[in-house]
This record gives sequence, structure tokens and C-alpha cells, in this order.
Amino acid sequence: MRLFVLTLVVALAGCGGASPRIKVSDAWARATAPGQTGGAIYATIVNDGGADELVGVSTGAGNAMLHSNESVDGVARMRMMAALPVPARSRVTLAPGAVHVMLGGLKAPLAAGSSFPATFTFAKSGARTVEVAVVAAGSR
Amino acid sequence: MLGKLRIVLWGLVLVAGAALAFLLTRPEQKLPAPTQTELPLAAIGGPFTLVGADGQPFGSTKLAGKPFAIFFGFTHCPDVCPTTLARLTRLRRELGKGDDSFAIVFVSVDPERDGPAEVGKYAELFDTPVIGLTGSQAQVDQVKKQYAVFSAKAPQPGGDYSVDHTASVFVMDRAGKFVSTIAPEESDSVALAKLRRVTG
Repeated sequence: MRLFVLTLVVALAGCGGASPRIKVSDAWARATAPGQTGGAIYATIVNDGGADELVGVSTGAGNAMLHSNESVDGVARMRMMAALPVPARSRVTLAPGAVHVMLGGLKAPLAAGSSFPATFTFAKSGARTVEVAVVAAGSR
Repeated sequence: MLGKLRIVLWGLVLVAGAALAFLLTRPEQKLPAPTQTELPLAAIGGPFTLVGADGQPFGSTKLAGKPFAIFFGFTHCPDVCPTTLARLTRLRRELGKGDDSFAIVFVSVDPERDGPAEVGKYAELFDTPVIGLTGSQAQVDQVKKQYAVFSAKAPQPGGDYSVDHTASVFVMDRAGKFVSTIAPEESDSVALAKLRRVTG
């Protein structure tokens, strides 16, 4: 019995202990022009608990994919990311020119002043659905 | 005693000689392979003809007499292009010299998908004058060459494609001469200083 408890304690410690406490806030997107099929969602992820991972985003507005942006020798390259780590007790910002949720195949232009729901899925915490505020393209 | 000193001194000479030999023969540091055509900075720019949002030819003479900031991208670009254009419009506001202080020019490097209507609607998104330009593939290639701009299609899942492209803005003076670039990673204060130089 003592051995079992000891094993359990070790196993829990190995998991990193605390479960994540994830909150997604300030989700926003720039308005897009008619005919423009691509856009991006930006947001802030605050985690007051243990480590987690953002593994996907989905929205009815279009196809959503996690993208990183890297600049190599002054050339911007967008690349898909399978997952975005959200470390324990951290704030991860999806910001212009950096990691963002790329929207493809937009069904309709994103109009400034409107909003649409998007679901952020985390490996441990599950889904968080937030409203994405569409702002004028030049405002942010 | 003197003999010992002589040995030590000769030892030092050997060490210095070895160091010199190392400095002279060590391999040169490898520079990253250039991904864009190297052009002497002064040669960047020059006269061009593209197509405006109205479908009519747009000659660079239309920009004469006013500084301009020119950026190359594509309208399907979800992040870098709108971020850069939004930044330029914000910097122009912060400069406080009006929409006329310098022109913001957006050139599509994706003329296959971006016709005059597409670049026009894209430029209108920003609620402040932005000149959207496209052209034939040959016209766009020519301007890319003049500005040493790199771009290449990057296939995406589902048959779509993105475009990798030079992300810097080129700041040109009233005479259409190249003055500096603004890179995305540069701070706003550095960028503003560069814009002040041409609008002053």
C-alpha cells in the first residue's frame, strides 16, 4: 500500500501537478475586403494553472489554422503550427506579425463592428468559445 | 638566468606567431545565402508602369513630387500585409502632417489572383488613401527587380497558396530616390524618424 501511494505521488508529480486554468480574451480580427479570402484572428490566452497546449481553432467564418510568422533575411514566411504551447502560469499573445490564427476561405467579408464566434481547443482544458470582434483594418 | 629569459621570450614569439597564423588562415565566416537580388541601395526604385485600381496604367510619374512608402504583398495575405499597411496608416497619422505628407503604395506580387478590383478594394479597407497597384506578371516582375523584392508561392493544404515575400517597406523621397527601408521588427519610433526625414 505504501508503495502504491508513493508511486501515485511520483506519477502525479510527473504530470506537472496543477491542471491548467485557461482563459481566452481580447479576440479580434481586422475587417477584410470583399473577395479577400484570408484573414487572421488575434487573441490573448491567460493560463493561471499548469501547462497546456492550444491544438486547434475553429469558426464558422472560414477555415482556421494556427500559423507562425517568421522573417528570414527580410522575407516573411507563414507556416502552419500543429500546436501552440501554453506554459504554466503564462500569458500567450496571438499578435499581428507573430503567431496568429489564419482564416482561409472566408465565406463573407469580415465587416468592421461585427463579431463572430470562434472555438479555441486546448489539449487538456478542452474548448473555449469566444466572440471575435472585427475592427477597422487600419485601427489596430 | 639570462638563458631562461631567452627561452621564455622565444616561447612568446612562437605563441604570437601561431596566433597570427590562425588569424590569417581561419576560414571566413559564412554569410547566410542571399534570398534576394543584391542591388546597390542607390539603384533601388526608378520609373515603372503598373495598373491602378481603375484598370488604367499607373506610371510612377504620378508619385512625383511627393515622398512615398512602397510595400509589396498580396491581398489574400492574412497577417503581414494588413499589419504593415495598418502600421503605415497609423504612422502617417502620428506624423501629423496629413494624408498628403507621403503616399502609401501597395503593389501586389500575386497578379494571378489580384486584379485592379482586388487591389482597389483592399486599399480602401484602410479608411485613408492607400494606392493599390497590380499589373501583368511581366510588369510586376520588372518592379520587383527594381526594388530587389523577393516573392515565391508557398502551397497550402487544399490547393491554395500563400506567398512568401519581402516584408520591408521602402521609403522613397520626393524625387523618387530610395532613402531607407522599414522592417517589421523595427520600432515605431525608428520608423517615424525615417518618415520624418523624407517629409520634413
